[in-house]
Amino acid sequence: MAAASRGGGGGPKALELLRALPRVSLVNLRPNPGAKKSERRRGRGRHGGKKSGRGHKGQRQRGNRPRLGFEGGQTPFYLIIPKYGYNEGHSHRRQYHPLSLQKLQYLIDLGRVDPTQPIDLTQLTNARGVTIQPLKRDYGVQLVEKGADNFSAKVNIEVQMASELAIAAIEKNGGVITTGFYDPRSLEILCKPIPFFLRGQPIPKRMLPPEDLVRYYTDAKNRGYLANPSNIPEARLELAKKYGYVLPDISKDELFQMLSTRKDPRQIFFGLAPGWVVNMSEKKILKPTDERLLRYYSS
Amino acid sequence: MAARVLRGLCWARPALLPARTPRGILHRAAAGAAPSSEFRSQYALDRLYPEQKRSDAEEGTQDGTKQTSPDIPVVNSKAEVRFHLASADWIAEDVRQKIAVMHKNKINKSGELILNSEVSRYQMKNLADCLEKIRNMIKEATQKSSVVSKENSQLLIARVQKMNRERLRQKKINSTIKQSRRVDFD
Repeated sequence: MAAASRGGGGGPKALELLRALPRVSLVNLRPNPGAKKSERRRGRGRHGGKKSGRGHKGQRQRGNRPRLGFEGGQTPFYLIIPKYGYNEGHSHRRQYHPLSLQKLQYLIDLGRVDPTQPIDLTQLTNARGVTIQPLKRDYGVQLVEKGADNFSAKVNIEVQMASELAIAAIEKNGGVITTGFYDPRSLEILCKPIPFFLRGQPIPKRMLPPEDLVRYYTDAKNRGYLANPSNIPEARLELAKKYGYVLPDISKDELFQMLSTRKDPRQIFFGLAPGWVVNMSEKKILKPTDERLLRYYSS
Repeated sequence: MAARVLRGLCWARPALLPARTPRGILHRAAAGAAPSSEFRSQYALDRLYPEQKRSDAEEGTQDGTKQTSPDIPVVNSKAEVRFHLASADWIAEDVRQKIAVMHKNKINKSGELILNSEVSRYQMKNLADCLEKIRNMIKEATQKSSVVSKENSQLLIARVQKMNRERLRQKKINSTIKQSRRVDFD
């Protein structure tokens, strides 16, 4: 009899029992009743035998059925519907993982994301709030309106795309939102910083957005990271007028310093510049000194 | 390509760092008010958009609108805006009266103009829709109908008569052509 079948008491009592029982070996082991169900083998016994599940005469029993999709001569569905490029070039399209305000509020409430620090894709990935796969044409995270009515957290958040209502909801609560572009290599580094640091390569500079995205990221309405900063207060005011809330004055806030921190357009991490090599094991950062390298990394 | 576009945004000035006076306003500091330890590349926002003198944007919204939340305790996405029309000094007097006439069905006994909106599943969007409706109402009430002067009205009538005459002339010409093609049984 397996020792596991004697539930008994915990800890020391179980140990006492184990001492008295015979040794566990293949002879004493068996699965729980109902765990293993034997399959129905065709051609054996009352249930698998006789016609063996093939039916009575005809194409079914004789294995001569026509191909999949054949409709007896009527033009089949897969031929009658015209071709249209719905999925054409799907593997070249940019994908943005949606992050609802509800989920963001959930993460903040549970303490997985710290609202007193700037929230970045790295923070969201560490909190396992989103899972980004840069190799599957993911270009980042988009902020979605669901949960906008109940959102009440003051955050400095950086995402890749955001809808107007999401921006309004964040600014209504006194937060700051920015949209920034990460090319796939930078995105991979951003989402998984530690494996990157372990490679020992210098931090690359973040590439600028492609042509069709430049217009998006230079627009203050989308709070783009390349937009003119002096257009942003007007955009905030416009949104406040449209959605009918009083725009809170962030400069009076105690967390104003944190709320106004933004990344340089070529920077991937806060506090780390491109060109630096991070040595995790020795806890050191190596910075380039050669003039050509410095010129390259700050261009 | 993006680099060229962005560099074109720079004004043609030498890229000297202007002496930055810390203004405790969002936009200036949000540009990444740079302490010397921060990384600044060629595309840092201060370089793309050099400082210019401008007046601070006034912040504030219309006052006088209240949002009453309905009494239903579950998820409420309906937005209702009501305000006392007669005492709304942010609308001009004549506009107020015009609205009172045009939308008298939306005004209740105590003189409050009531607007509802349920277009979207988000209350914020519905509120925005209500405010948009108020703006449209004020815009309609401010429109002045165009008065056609006497000479212009006579001109218009003359034009219409001329059009009709011309149309009938063309019709008669067409008719003679068709008749000349007819061959009667002789």
